[in-house]
Amino acid sequence: MEFPAALFPSYFGAGPPQEEGGPAPLAGWGEHGQVLEGGPGRRQVQPAFVPRRGATGERWEAADAAAVPVLLPRAGCWIPSPAPQDILYRSGLCKKLRAGKSRAILDFTRQLGHFFVDHPEDAFGSLGRLLHKNFYLGNSKLQRPARSSTIRMTALVEDIDRLEARRGCPRQHLASRLRWFSHLCRDWLFEVPLGLLADCLHEELMQQWSNLLFDDSLTGGALAWLPPEDRGTPVGCLVHPGGQAMNHLYFQDVVLEELPRTRGAPAQFELSGRIQQVAAARVDGQDFVGVRSDYHCGVWRLLGKRGAVPTPLQVIHTDVPASCLTVSPHLPGELSVCTQSGTVYLWSVETGLQQLRHDPQTMFFRDHSPWRWSDFTAHPRVLSCADRTGLQCLDARAPKRCHFDLFKVGEEAGCQQGERVVLPMYLGRAHPSQYLVTTQFSVYVLDERLPLVPVLKWAHMMKAPPLFAHLMPGKPGRSHKVLLGASRTQELLLLQYRGGSQSACQLAGTPQKLHSIAGCLQHLPTQLPHRHHLLQQRLTAPAAGLAATLQEDGLHKSMLIFQLSEAGDVFCQRLTHNAAQPPAPPSRDEATTAPGSSPLFEVPASSPQGLAGEEEEEEEQTFYLSNLEVIIDDEEEDMGTSAPLEEAELLQERCANPQPSPAVPSPAAALQYRRWLRALSRACKEPPGHTWSPSLSQRRLFTRKDLEGPVGPSSLQRQMRQRLRQTMKEGGLIQHWAPLALQPPPLPQALEPAGGLDPLSARLTAAWAGDWEQWWEERTSFSVAKRQQALRERRRRQKRAQGRRSLSASFTSSLTYQSELSELSDTGPSVLSPGRPPLLSQEASPPAGSPLVHSPATSAAPDEALLSSQSLRCRGIPKERRKTLRDYLSVWAEGPPEPPEPLGSQASQLCIPSSQSQLSSASQPRRKRPRMGF
Amino acid sequence: MDSFLEEEDEEAPTVVVAGKRRRRSSPAAQALQPPLHLPFLPLQPVSSNEHKLNFRKSKEACLSFIQDALLQKEWKRAAEFLTCYIESLEKDYSREHIGPSEMIWRTGAEILWHHSQSSMKEFNCFMEQMKTLGVKRYLKVCLEHVFHLLCNGQIDEAYQNLSLAESWRFGEQTAIQDKEMKLIQAYRGLLDYYSWSKQKNILLENSEDGFSDSAVEQEMHGYFRKAAVNLKEIIKIPGVWDIFVKCYVDLLEFYGDHNEARQVLNEYAYNSKFPANPNAHVYLYQFLKRQREPKKSLISALKILHDIVPSHELMIDFNTMLQKSKKRKKRRLGLEVIFAALDYAGWKENAKAWSCLSRQVKQIVISEKHLDWIKQEWNSRKDWWPAFHFSRYLAKRNWQENKSLSYEKALVAGILLGKGCKYFKYVSHQGCKAQLKRFRMLKKFVNRHNPVYLRISGPPDSSVQP
Repeated sequence: MEFPAALFPSYFGAGPPQEEGGPAPLAGWGEHGQVLEGGPGRRQVQPAFVPRRGATGERWEAADAAAVPVLLPRAGCWIPSPAPQDILYRSGLCKKLRAGKSRAILDFTRQLGHFFVDHPEDAFGSLGRLLHKNFYLGNSKLQRPARSSTIRMTALVEDIDRLEARRGCPRQHLASRLRWFSHLCRDWLFEVPLGLLADCLHEELMQQWSNLLFDDSLTGGALAWLPPEDRGTPVGCLVHPGGQAMNHLYFQDVVLEELPRTRGAPAQFELSGRIQQVAAARVDGQDFVGVRSDYHCGVWRLLGKRGAVPTPLQVIHTDVPASCLTVSPHLPGELSVCTQSGTVYLWSVETGLQQLRHDPQTMFFRDHSPWRWSDFTAHPRVLSCADRTGLQCLDARAPKRCHFDLFKVGEEAGCQQGERVVLPMYLGRAHPSQYLVTTQFSVYVLDERLPLVPVLKWAHMMKAPPLFAHLMPGKPGRSHKVLLGASRTQELLLLQYRGGSQSACQLAGTPQKLHSIAGCLQHLPTQLPHRHHLLQQRLTAPAAGLAATLQEDGLHKSMLIFQLSEAGDVFCQRLTHNAAQPPAPPSRDEATTAPGSSPLFEVPASSPQGLAGEEEEEEEQTFYLSNLEVIIDDEEEDMGTSAPLEEAELLQERCANPQPSPAVPSPAAALQYRRWLRALSRACKEPPGHTWSPSLSQRRLFTRKDLEGPVGPSSLQRQMRQRLRQTMKEGGLIQHWAPLALQPPPLPQALEPAGGLDPLSARLTAAWAGDWEQWWEERTSFSVAKRQQALRERRRRQKRAQGRRSLSASFTSSLTYQSELSELSDTGPSVLSPGRPPLLSQEASPPAGSPLVHSPATSAAPDEALLSSQSLRCRGIPKERRKTLRDYLSVWAEGPPEPPEPLGSQASQLCIPSSQSQLSSASQPRRKRPRMGF
Repeated sequence: MDSFLEEEDEEAPTVVVAGKRRRRSSPAAQALQPPLHLPFLPLQPVSSNEHKLNFRKSKEACLSFIQDALLQKEWKRAAEFLTCYIESLEKDYSREHIGPSEMIWRTGAEILWHHSQSSMKEFNCFMEQMKTLGVKRYLKVCLEHVFHLLCNGQIDEAYQNLSLAESWRFGEQTAIQDKEMKLIQAYRGLLDYYSWSKQKNILLENSEDGFSDSAVEQEMHGYFRKAAVNLKEIIKIPGVWDIFVKCYVDLLEFYGDHNEARQVLNEYAYNSKFPANPNAHVYLYQFLKRQREPKKSLISALKILHDIVPSHELMIDFNTMLQKSKKRKKRRLGLEVIFAALDYAGWKENAKAWSCLSRQVKQIVISEKHLDWIKQEWNSRKDWWPAFHFSRYLAKRNWQENKSLSYEKALVAGILLGKGCKYFKYVSHQGCKAQLKRFRMLKKFVNRHNPVYLRISGPPDSSVQP
């Protein structure tokens, strides 16, 4: 515990901060701060000076182009937390208003409206039931006796709609009827008194808004890395929250290879609240993991041995949300807890809680924030406790008497006005008496032995306050690394500093920005726009935690940094230490020659040894397979083509990155991306039962009367209506509005259903259908020979079909069509639709009436089989139910009474706008099949 | 960046047209303006406000590009953006507390530190320009320039710059400028001190050889005067002035002005306006030691250091000094000091400190006097020292890493916690297994004095005699 023989010079003032505050971009550059004599040798010819900032540091370089996911997304989709546009009022008027005052306006009325609509029972339950008879929701006029006791609501609803349309109009007050109604029933209509409800809602909205601006509940971060006990094995344990509500705690073993990979299933605990913080410390070879949620804190113990199961030790419940939980690095089973009421506890698993301090007021000046923090210091009985105004150290043995101020937001530390403490952290592993304090502007290193005067100060220039910090102590003579992480912007900054015992503290090297999770978006395979959007939303979710570890094997040193997002994703990046001064070779080489890759990567695409049948999910090592490499390469090409667009987008979003890093992700990383994406799309897909498009009951939609129309429609209208009805009854689709002998069948061209599709349109169709990925896979795994054969086959069949198709309306042609369909569907389901028109047009060649004549018969055919009383009896349906069932089924069979079908008059058909002529019934071909059965 | 460049394009033609207008005064000539420039003009006249906004936006974008490049250590790219950003100086309407000129200074300096093709000459040139950019920042930029020169070993250039800066005058000085000026003077004093000590060394070497050089001596005294004046000034102001104080005291001591030196050091250590800097007390203690002051004043100096930093490395010296004392009170203080030092995590594995403690504890146990001292110290520690110092895990580790440390600790553990203590048991067992004689002695000693443990850990009673 040496103290530096001389410190850097600095002024020491007292009192409130003098310097004007405000975010200062670039304030951290270009300054040495101070210099101090401290050369390597004593009494040289000339004194050697060292700067406080600007000394050379270690070179760490990113090994990959972006952060790589460590864990595959688990089932159950993430629900994004509210965004500003969800709770803020948006309208043109408001924008004008805001331009002057630059204040956000909460959309109170919309939220209240949501509440009424979403929870009508809670809002109007009892009176709603009571008055239910007196509110009339129909359109027709009220009858005389009812009118005295019933209000017609339709008019009011119309008024409301009109009001909505005129939103922002200054003459809103004209809706007198609404005013009258609200005056009348404001006092009694609501289940909860409106004033009270509004207060609660407003409070909640304010809370949400302030959380959006700055959410301090995440302070400290909910990610912890438990390094292996013996340095030899590269297996550590990642402790992280997960699940839809982030209320599951996972202890996941992770093997540190080139890309860290999970090993085995994680130990999992379900907690009763969202996990806000995970803190860990190792004492006497055991890891203690503290977990904080709003009202509960728990502690787990993990023995150092590998394969040990984490054991929960104790849980405490707090009445006020806890804001801090730290684990003692000195004594096993000791933690410190702070609550938002300003209470600090020392929590020992053996002896329970000891209250050290209770003070709802802040320490040095008044600040409204209830946030409190506490951590351990070099003395196991002395705890620091912090609020937004500074830090104090208390002796747990006599907390009232023995305390001293460690850090004050004020002139002592050269703070700016408006500066507030964001995260204090004990740096015991680097130096027993050092302390880190971050504010929204600067980062300070303090020494307990010299309180109030920071031994190091640097303006970090981060866009959001650093809520997470992680220390990686350096060996003697090497620099300590501190990682700072922000939540909302996902920023990650690597700082290095050294000194503290023999020499004074100095910052080493320049700060370095690391990859954020969102940065990998540009390296992911191209997505459909809506998926891209979802992916973007997921990847830009605020960060929720930070952990890191140093790895050394021989000369090769590297640093692994894990970042957790609110969506529960854990991403990781590796930095490699570059001992040599010249700039490093491109990182890609390094990645491929590192252990974990294999020479198989270099095998060309048509390698005979490819294990073509394998799926990459089966094994972790599958990325050695050569055929997969092919896929990756293809994808990278593809990324290249679509890059400009995406880059432009990215530029707009985060203008801080004008030039994405030139390196591309290593093959292993690319594979990991793909795997992650697939798992994500699987996890977020709705259960398979709901994949079909929603269907509507047609009988409800149109009554027979509606469909018939009041006055005699024109023949064309009638015809069209009939077709519409027909199609609707079958739940089909109309593709051509006027196919009836209007368009000559474009037979020859249309005969190339899929073989003629160029790859681009096939890909687009596949993309629209949503399984673009599958298309790619099929396309790439489809061997050339197979494809050629298929092509030949198809060609032959086409020839045959062409010959037959000259006969009008033959069954065999439709048969070939069917078989063709089933064959074609191998290449992708999406090619179905282009195949349809020929058949349709073929059908159209006989007189238009014929399909309509057929239709009842065809659709009735299967039903009739069902309806026959014999068959019903066979099925064991009792006699009395048979009638009901028959009625029910006949609904499907019976069409509306058909008017005599006029043959389509050519003249009237010509009137149909050409834009509609593209529609046609896709369901028609299907009708053929039953006919074949006859 | 594009918008930034566009801005320039739009700017230039406007100026050209305006210029032409002025020259051709007749309206006819005006109508006959060459249509060449016109297409470049914006179609609709942009309102001045919007124009400013766009400019501000592109400035901000440029800044963020610079920032990004700096954070990724792409100095060349940052330099390119910076050359674009310099345009922002022309229309500096900003009221932010860090204006464009300061940003240019900061980023430019940072880039020039790291850029592979930059030279010291270029850096000097750049800094000279930056000094002229803002009056308020002149001294600050000068200081930073000097720091950079000093770190690169260009002491003479630094000295020149300091002298220049010192002579700079510009109207009323703000409080910050005042501070900066004081620092400049102090650093100049420091450099003078280094010149003085160089001359002094020359002189000492010469006197060893037997001849004296009055010119060198004269020069040396000149340096002394210059250094002393400036150094004396800065150390009056509250702050951390370790190097300045050290140099000043060295000067004073050389010329035999011990009273002044003592006063300076006392002021530095005990003035309550100054931060509680342990070094101030260390310097005073070292000075007193050099002056061969009596033990009493040394002890009182260290006592104060102990009060403010119980974990200071001088506590070992303090403890040894106190143990040797004949006074009971001082020996008792020694025990307190060493116990307090060992409370700290940084001392956990300090073999020296543990041997101090074990020696004193052993003494007390053998003499069977003052067991209550141990008892009192132990009382506030018995609930956490066993887990903190004497766990089985630590026993194993200490035994593997440092045998003598584990010996000292085992002795203390055996006395404080009895022979059943895990730490003692493990270490004595291992020691006996390894056939080490002193561990066998240790076992015997602890076994013999086991009853002491009961007295130490028992309830407070009156049977223990002081």
